[in-house]
Amino acid sequence: MKNLLAVEWLKMKNFRTFWILTGFFALLLPLWNYGISNGIVKMGGGEINLISQAYGFGYVWQNLGFWTSIFVVFLSILTIILTTNEYQFRTNRQNVIDGWTRMNFYHAKWLVVLLLSMFTTVYVFIVGVGFGAGYGSVNDFPGSIAHLFYVWVLSLNYYAFSLLLSIFFKRSGITIGIFFLYCMILEALVSKFINWWLDTKAGNFMPLQCSDELLPFPVLDVLKAMTGAQDTVQPVYYVVCSFAWIGIYYLLGRQKLLRSDW
Amino acid sequence: METILSIRNLSKSYGAIQALKDVSFEVPAGSVFGILGPNGSGKTTLLGIILEVLNADAGNGAWFGGMPGEQARKQIGSLLETPNFYHYLSAMDNLEIAASIKQRGMDDRERVLQLLGLYERRNSKFQTYSLGMKQRLALASALLGNPKVLVLDEPTNGLDPAGIAEIRELIRDLNQQGITIIMASHLLDEVEKVCTHVAILKKGDLLLTGPVEDVLRHEDQIEVKSRDLTRLQTILQQMNGVHKIQPVNGGLLLSCETTLLPEQVNEYCMQHGIVLSHLTLKKKSLETKFMELTG
Repeated sequence: MKNLLAVEWLKMKNFRTFWILTGFFALLLPLWNYGISNGIVKMGGGEINLISQAYGFGYVWQNLGFWTSIFVVFLSILTIILTTNEYQFRTNRQNVIDGWTRMNFYHAKWLVVLLLSMFTTVYVFIVGVGFGAGYGSVNDFPGSIAHLFYVWVLSLNYYAFSLLLSIFFKRSGITIGIFFLYCMILEALVSKFINWWLDTKAGNFMPLQCSDELLPFPVLDVLKAMTGAQDTVQPVYYVVCSFAWIGIYYLLGRQKLLRSDW
Repeated sequence: METILSIRNLSKSYGAIQALKDVSFEVPAGSVFGILGPNGSGKTTLLGIILEVLNADAGNGAWFGGMPGEQARKQIGSLLETPNFYHYLSAMDNLEIAASIKQRGMDDRERVLQLLGLYERRNSKFQTYSLGMKQRLALASALLGNPKVLVLDEPTNGLDPAGIAEIRELIRDLNQQGITIIMASHLLDEVEKVCTHVAILKKGDLLLTGPVEDVLRHEDQIEVKSRDLTRLQTILQQMNGVHKIQPVNGGLLLSCETTLLPEQVNEYCMQHGIVLSHLTLKKKSLETKFMELTG
C-alpha cells in the first residue's frame, strides 16, 4: 500500500494542475467563508442577508460544511484529471506492464481518493478551528463537529464518484462535462422528480444527493429552528446510503477494469 | 533448453475479427525471438496478452514456468506499441515511477539514459522529446535494472537509419550478455538481422515457428521447361533437394536447396530422358518468401 501511494505521489508532486487545483481549494474555501462571515459576500438586497454569518463553534461546522460541499468540485476535477491522464498517456498500461496488477492500479487511485478526502476533512477542521476561535469562544469547541465527519463522507463520495466516471469515460473533457451535468442538473432534477412523484424523500438518496443532504444550506437550519420544522430523515441514513453508493462505485469500477482490455 | 515463455492455445477476437487463432509456441532462454508478421497480424495483441493488458478469450502465456504475472513483469523490461510516459515529467522522473513499480533499478536511471543517448536531456519534460527520443526513453525504461528478458514491440519505430542500426547493435549486445529478447516486427530484414528464432503470424494464425535459419532459409528457384511438362513434373518430384514445384509461364518453378545447381537438374533430366528447352536460376529473396507466407 505504501508503494502504491509513493508511486501516485511521484505522479502528482511535479504536476502543476495538482498544485493549482489544490491551491484553489485551499485558498478559496477560507477566503469565501471569511467574506461571508464579514458580510462582504451576501445573498439578498439591502440589509437582508440570507446567508448564515454565524462562525462561532456553534455554527462554524454547518457553515463550512455546506460551502465545502461546493468547493469539493475543485478536488473532484483533480481526481478526474489525475485518472484520465493515465488513459490519455496510456500510462495505465505502462504501470501494469512494469509490474502492477490491474487491481494495484485501481487501488492506488482509491488511495488517492481516500487521501484527498482526508486532506479535505483535516483542512476544513483547521479552517474551522480558526474561524471558531476567531468569532467565538474556544470554550465552545467542538460544537456540532459531527458535520466534520459528514464533510469526510461527502468528499469521499464526490471523489470516488469522479474516479468512477473517469474509469468509464476515460477522456478528461467529457468526464468533467458529465460530472457537472450530473451533479449540477441531472441529479437535482431526477431527485426532485422522484420526491414529487412518489411524495417521499426517496430522491434524496441519489448517489451524490444523499451526501449533500448531510450538509444542507445553513440558513435552512435557522428557518427550521424558527418554524419548528423537523427533518424526517435522520443523518445516519444518509451516511449509510453514502457508504453504500461508495461501495457500489468501487465494485462497478473493479468490474470494468478487470473485464475490459486496457 | 530452459523455456522463458510458453504460449498455449491463445485466442482473442475483437468482435467479428479474430486477432489470434489458437497460437502456441515457446521462447527458449537466451534467444532473440522475433514475432514477425504484416500490420494487423496479431503481434501487438499477442504481446498485450502476455503482458496482461489485454484479456485472452482462451489459452494463456506462462512466464518462467508459471510465475505469477505481476512478479514476472517486474523482472521483464517491456515496450508495448507506443512509449507511454507522463508528458509533464522529465525522463528521470518518469524512470523513477517505472523503477518504483518494478521495485528495482532506481540507481540505474543515469546508466540507461547514457546508454540510449538521452543523458543530456534527462531533465527535459517528456512532451519536449522528438518521436525518436520518446522511443529511446521507452527502451531505456525497459532496460532499467538489467532485466533478464526484454519484450520489445517494433523497437526501431520512429528512429532514423543511424538510430535503427544502433538499436539493432544494442539488441545483439544485450543478447550476448545473456538477455532473452522477444521482439515483434513487421520488418523481415530486422528479424533476419537480429533474431535467432522466429514465429510468423498472418491474420492471427501462426504460420511457422523455429530457428531463423530453418524458417527463413534462403531458397533458390530454378525455372525449367520441356515439351512434356507432366512427365517433367513427375520426374522432378523424385529429385533430392527439390522442395516444391509450381507451374508458371508454360514451365515449372522449382523451389530447391541452395546447394542444388542448375547443371545437376539438367543432368538429372537427361538421365531420365528429358531434354530441357529452358533452364534459369532465380535467386529468391527473403521478401518474396515473406510475401508468399503472409501475402
